[in-house]
Amino acid sequence: MPSVCFYFQVHQPIRLKQYSVFQMGIDHQYFDEKVNGDIMRKVANKCYIPANKLMLDLIQMHEGRFKISYSITGTAIEQMVKYSPEALDTFVALSKTGCVEFLSETYYHSLASLYSPEEFKKQVTQHSDLMFQLFNQRPKVFRNTELIYSDEIGALIEGMGYQGMIAEGADDILGWRSPHFVYRRPSGNLGLLLKSYRLSDDVAFRFSSRAWNEWPLTAPKFASWVHRLSGNGQLVNLFMDYETFGEHQWESTGIFDFMKALPGEVMKNQEWNFVTPSEALNRYSPTAELSYPRLVSWADEDRSITAWRGNNMQTSALQQLFELQREVYLKNNPSTLDLWRKLQTSDHFYYMCTKWFADGDVHAYFNHYKSPYEAFINFMNVLNDFRESVLGERPSSASSLPPI
Amino acid sequence: MKILMLGWEYPPHISGGLGTACQGLTTALASKGIEIEFVVPHVFGDEKVEHMQLSSPALNDSSSPLQEAIVRIEKKTTHLKEFLTTKTTPSAETATFLEIDHQSILREVIKTSIPSLLFSPYANPDSFQEALRKFSHTELVQTGSFYSSAEHQIVKGLLPESVSEVLNYNFRSQSSSHQYGPDLFTAVDDYTVNLVSKTKGKQFDLIHAHDWMTFPAGIALSRLTGKPLVVHVHSLEFDRSGKHHNERIHKIEEAGLKEATRIIAVSYYTRSIIHREHGIPLSKISVVHNGVYAQQIKHSYEKDMAKKSKIVLFLGRITFQKGPDYFVEAAAKIIPLIPDVKFVMAGSGDMLPRLIERVAELGLSKNFIFTGFLKGKDVERMFALADLYVMPSVSEPFGIAPLEAMSHDVPVIISHQSGVSEVLQSALKVDFWDVDKMANFIAGVLRYPELRQDAIQNAREEIGRLHWGAAADKTMQIYKLALGRGR
Repeated sequence: MPSVCFYFQVHQPIRLKQYSVFQMGIDHQYFDEKVNGDIMRKVANKCYIPANKLMLDLIQMHEGRFKISYSITGTAIEQMVKYSPEALDTFVALSKTGCVEFLSETYYHSLASLYSPEEFKKQVTQHSDLMFQLFNQRPKVFRNTELIYSDEIGALIEGMGYQGMIAEGADDILGWRSPHFVYRRPSGNLGLLLKSYRLSDDVAFRFSSRAWNEWPLTAPKFASWVHRLSGNGQLVNLFMDYETFGEHQWESTGIFDFMKALPGEVMKNQEWNFVTPSEALNRYSPTAELSYPRLVSWADEDRSITAWRGNNMQTSALQQLFELQREVYLKNNPSTLDLWRKLQTSDHFYYMCTKWFADGDVHAYFNHYKSPYEAFINFMNVLNDFRESVLGERPSSASSLPPI
Repeated sequence: MKILMLGWEYPPHISGGLGTACQGLTTALASKGIEIEFVVPHVFGDEKVEHMQLSSPALNDSSSPLQEAIVRIEKKTTHLKEFLTTKTTPSAETATFLEIDHQSILREVIKTSIPSLLFSPYANPDSFQEALRKFSHTELVQTGSFYSSAEHQIVKGLLPESVSEVLNYNFRSQSSSHQYGPDLFTAVDDYTVNLVSKTKGKQFDLIHAHDWMTFPAGIALSRLTGKPLVVHVHSLEFDRSGKHHNERIHKIEEAGLKEATRIIAVSYYTRSIIHREHGIPLSKISVVHNGVYAQQIKHSYEKDMAKKSKIVLFLGRITFQKGPDYFVEAAAKIIPLIPDVKFVMAGSGDMLPRLIERVAELGLSKNFIFTGFLKGKDVERMFALADLYVMPSVSEPFGIAPLEAMSHDVPVIISHQSGVSEVLQSALKVDFWDVDKMANFIAGVLRYPELRQDAIQNAREEIGRLHWGAAADKTMQIYKLALGRGR
């Protein structure tokens, strides 16, 4: 009995305001209340609230046979509480159906897994506590920021007691193997659920593309692609940003109608059913070990992490940020710690990406800065103010403030 | 396909980006099999033009029988003396005159003085000599420089009334309040008349005229020969002078734009201004962005690492169009934060005295260096010294200087009000009036070396993509359109 496993990512960064060199030393309010509030309310109204209502309807309509999972960041939850409590209510309502699993990740959607296991674990615990507090669930399956995964990160997660983890089914990692089975970390027990990226991206990216030869995508058509895998796979993992519904794909594209019809179409073939990630790991044993010798994410053609750490600006900004860990810990001040961690949110570094100068324009869509340089200067101005004014440290490395 | 191309300057004798752009475009067009004859007011002999024929309709044979007359005129005409003693030519459009040597100026003036001798659309070289013999040197001096011949009248007859009026404007009775001296209009008129004469009997398929100075000649030739006219707009009077533009130039521009079969604009920015200010339908205007000429790329130029202060560079004409005042105001915000930084203003222009005063008023004189107009090797040295180049232009049709800076591995900040911002992604961009943001960017580039590294790296890749070949391909498409339509 093969299964479809849905996981939706819910994340909103807490965006920095325009912070010029002239504010340094004077202004220590770094975040843009207005922009953050506007975006959260917009996304809540276009996506979270209507999509949650649809999911709730589907769960009720299919009497518990339709199941889904979410990973919701702490920064998204904080902003829902502040700007759209009604959106959070609808997630709480979903958590009570018994058909929705909440996954684990870093509270701040950070890249701490690449810099500091100690800090990483603290953020994961903070998130896990939040999930328990809000949804009465202690997450058992882990999802790292941007699906960033490697053997090393797998070992770290297994050491933290997780049953399994989400990862990208990247071609170079899989080789001839199929993403439609459960795998296992080499010399370990951590189960790996791999994103079936073709089918996932058909919905998340290509759904409304008229240049695509499969347009328009209908639920029966998509279900038939899933059904075609019968006998060749156990599990189809459809992992995507939740903003696919109503935000990346507007309501007018028919994305909600597609989703409304899809579970029924999939279950028309009685072999097929829906599972949550934990259920998938319980139901299907790993077929083989799968090694990730490099850092893999779910972004871009090369599924690398270069969208966040690909140029000098990003590398240096991240380095300088994580160098402050000891000083921040020594301060032992919860609000300072929270501030430092909000600067860790991966989006701040994504805005500094210069990859798209040469090719794509995907990056530009999610960017409120006019250029990556602007994003970098803004971030560095904030970081330097944080270091000097909040931590009271003089510049620690020559690279941050060279003698001029 | 043979193109008769009308220009105003050609490297190395240039006052701005126009000559450089013409060099890049013609080189690429020639490599694609287009035959070009390029006509400028002066040929100096040291231009590198293997790819096409470069000519001038001016008298430049120093052994000509006119030589003596030149000397006499120098002694006797007050107009000439004025011209020679005017050191502060206010605009760089006329700076081309400053570049030329003494002898060339004389030629310029004698040419201006005897247009009737040069012009004769139906004459051959022999009849020119004959005509010359008819005039004694005395006569030349006595009769002065007024156009009076029937031949000149014929060219005038070819031009729209608005243009011939403007060109024959009685400059002597006017005060010199215009930023363009009377000499430029005389030179334009002269170029027009001479060119029509010179071009007699030449075969070509299309006329391609660069900027307003060549538009009257383009119009006259097109009307005379029936060949299509493509006008190429590198810069508009509106850009140079804003609302206080020179009405005479505006009229010539408008006549050329209306007469043209097709118009090439160097940016979408310029295209929209042509549409807005001259009422030309957008469908008639194509955009061809400038490229970077391969020879301009000189990453290898050595950086002077020994220098102590960071250098922020403004390089361009110090005129309204280039926004030098915004550069000064941004500097005033930076200096309290980063006291040891030098702001270099390289260029000359009518706003220079005012800016020097403003810098003194702000008490920033020790942070500012005014170099005056730089050319050739000095420009390269300046770029090599600079840590950052800023182009705060108020209205810049394209702006080739940032590309030059990038090719010297200098990060650039450019204004959104520039055509080049349409093609550059690796530059920092700011609205010219947003002095706070400009200052924030300047501080960012100076303080954060990572940004500098990335900007330089991205610029190298980007410059490689901005080649003239693409511009030539688009230009050829426009030629086809123009030829297809005919007149």
